[in-house]
Amino acid sequence: MTYDICIIGSGAGGSPVAYELSRAGFSVVVLEKGKEYKEEDFNKDELAVSRRQLFTPELKEEQHVIYELDENKKRTRYVGSEEQWSFWNGSMVGGSSNLMSGFFHRLKPNDFKLLSAYGKIEGANIVDWPISYEELEPYYEKVERVVGVSGEVVPHSFLEPRSTEQFPYPKLQENRVTEWFDRACNSLGFESIATPRAILSHTALERNSCSYSNFCGSYGCATGAKGSGRAALLQKCNATIITQAFVYKLESDATKVTKAHYYDADFKTHELSAKIFVLAAQAIESSRLLLNSKNHFFPHGLANNEKQVGKNLIFSAGGAGEGRFRFEMLTKEQQKELMEVGVFFNRSLQQWYEYKKSGKKIKGGTIDFLFEHQDLIPRIKRAFYDERGQILWGEALAQRVHKELTTSRVLNFEVFNDWLPTDECFIGIEEDVKDKYGIAVGAIHLYSHPHDREVGNELAKKAVEVLKQMGAKEISYSISSSPPSNLVAGGCRFGENPKTSVLDKNCKAHALENLYVTDASFMPTGGSVPYTWTIYANAFRVADILLKRLKS
Amino acid sequence: MTFNMRRNFFKQSFLGGAVLLFYGSSLFGAVEPLKTLALVQEDLFPKAKELEVDTASYLLLILEHSRVSSAKKEFLRNGVQWLHEESLKLYGKLYYNLSQQKRQDVLQEISEYSWGEFWIESLLTYSMEALYSDAVYGVNKKDAAQKWLGFHSGEPHPKRAYL
Repeated sequence: MTYDICIIGSGAGGSPVAYELSRAGFSVVVLEKGKEYKEEDFNKDELAVSRRQLFTPELKEEQHVIYELDENKKRTRYVGSEEQWSFWNGSMVGGSSNLMSGFFHRLKPNDFKLLSAYGKIEGANIVDWPISYEELEPYYEKVERVVGVSGEVVPHSFLEPRSTEQFPYPKLQENRVTEWFDRACNSLGFESIATPRAILSHTALERNSCSYSNFCGSYGCATGAKGSGRAALLQKCNATIITQAFVYKLESDATKVTKAHYYDADFKTHELSAKIFVLAAQAIESSRLLLNSKNHFFPHGLANNEKQVGKNLIFSAGGAGEGRFRFEMLTKEQQKELMEVGVFFNRSLQQWYEYKKSGKKIKGGTIDFLFEHQDLIPRIKRAFYDERGQILWGEALAQRVHKELTTSRVLNFEVFNDWLPTDECFIGIEEDVKDKYGIAVGAIHLYSHPHDREVGNELAKKAVEVLKQMGAKEISYSISSSPPSNLVAGGCRFGENPKTSVLDKNCKAHALENLYVTDASFMPTGGSVPYTWTIYANAFRVADILLKRLKS
Repeated sequence: MTFNMRRNFFKQSFLGGAVLLFYGSSLFGAVEPLKTLALVQEDLFPKAKELEVDTASYLLLILEHSRVSSAKKEFLRNGVQWLHEESLKLYGKLYYNLSQQKRQDVLQEISEYSWGEFWIESLLTYSMEALYSDAVYGVNKKDAAQKWLGFHSGEPHPKRAYL
């Protein structure tokens, strides 16, 4: 059988295409490397999910080799399995969208024209996108409705233009410490924003509302409230999903992809034909598959005759920080508010999405605030050491654990700013290291432009001001060049010029008539927000393009 | 698999086999890793016993897990050897033949070494996993540790152990 569409990967990049095309009557097959889990399979078992990483491959079976280039241009090689350094995010139907926290921010109009708006930066490959915010806006709105985004639109300095006044779903219930936050921001003249979340605040879209289980990010949602590609889209369409199907090669002739070759769970090989192929295996693995799919027509890898595949890999730059609130500085009522669990701390600052320094306009970013993750073991482990850094045990440890966890709580912040694309940050292939299927693994070359950390530090200082104003103690933060493995994009950037981009503005490979890439690979720059909303929106946009193509 | 069956299995596995000890340059004898680790866990966090959590059984369970690397397992075993060697050096006796106070002295001594600090941290981490494991894992049946910290586990709970 030849399918109309074959999609590789079922996460935020693949699921909208499967949803739209199968609902329009086209035959759609999705090849997903992971297993299928449904709401009834999800639980809050910290040991399985967080300690033993149930939803990601074992590194001894599947890994990456990482090359890190430091500021002195010294390159260090790390083998993922030896260093326990993982870039996997969720191998399962729906991909890592099952495990996201669902902090949903749109890109701003200037994110689509970073070069025009802010100019060149030495050593960075900044470009404008081939589409504008206005072209993507209807799809951001569609994601709000179809995937489900809850929140409250409030006016602020960088509120992006919207075609609707409000979110379709009201904001989630909040911890009362948000009121402390709002007061602190008010006194500082900062604009507090309720963070939109891809979580349903009431029953809708044939899904249950959030149960406020207290364990959201990193965990699958047992109610279906979280807008994963699986719960929101794949479970509502009749696309054929083949699970535990690892695609190791795309076969092509000079102009078209003809077959996808994959291994099943028993390591048996299969092949599958389709009129159109959509690649959405997450940025690193999508580039790896193209680079591993060399043939007579594409000797450097599929769609890679211009040697652009894998280039300009980006992450979200920035970092994280925290402050601790201790009972001894709070009233009884405040203590009660502080320890209220389940409800969310949804607050963000975007006032410095753009700022001026020495008269120059600088692209800034977003700061999200959230309570420390409820996973218990990491919080207890922090109490293993005393103030002098000495490890504790026995009664001293018991007392410290009890005090830290019952009479204080940590408020975290996360900074998101642009990870500038450079020649030194890219995906390659490590020919000598194979995965369990015998396929060469991806080589991740990391480099962070110094500008990224300058901006991150500026933003972190603003977050610290808020924490201080709130009365938090033990405030600290870290802005570093370490990439967050769950916020990865680029490698197949879209653009007008086939010499400098892999995809055209429709996310179709310049070099092939029937290959599209719809995960975050297409992004030439990443903006200063988490990517998932934009991945969803762009995949819905490409789905419309495919619908028109197939109907014509 | 019941715990007793697991225990029997482990008696035949890497932690079941004896660890050879050297004192000075000569062979001193052999020790049982399981017996040592169970006692060290008790010495490191006696609260677990008070909370009726079976940290030793959990250690047996977790060290069978495919996602706990061979290097980590080997490190725990090596730590047993090094602990006893330190004990011999300080007091001329095996760790489990010392008084409670002297065992604490040995722990204090090894915590000054980077291997010792990391070994203690590893054992404490597994103890804490046991303390806050779901009832399906069978080592923390009364949720006493959760009550001690006023912690509410997330729901739904797992229906089966991922081990």
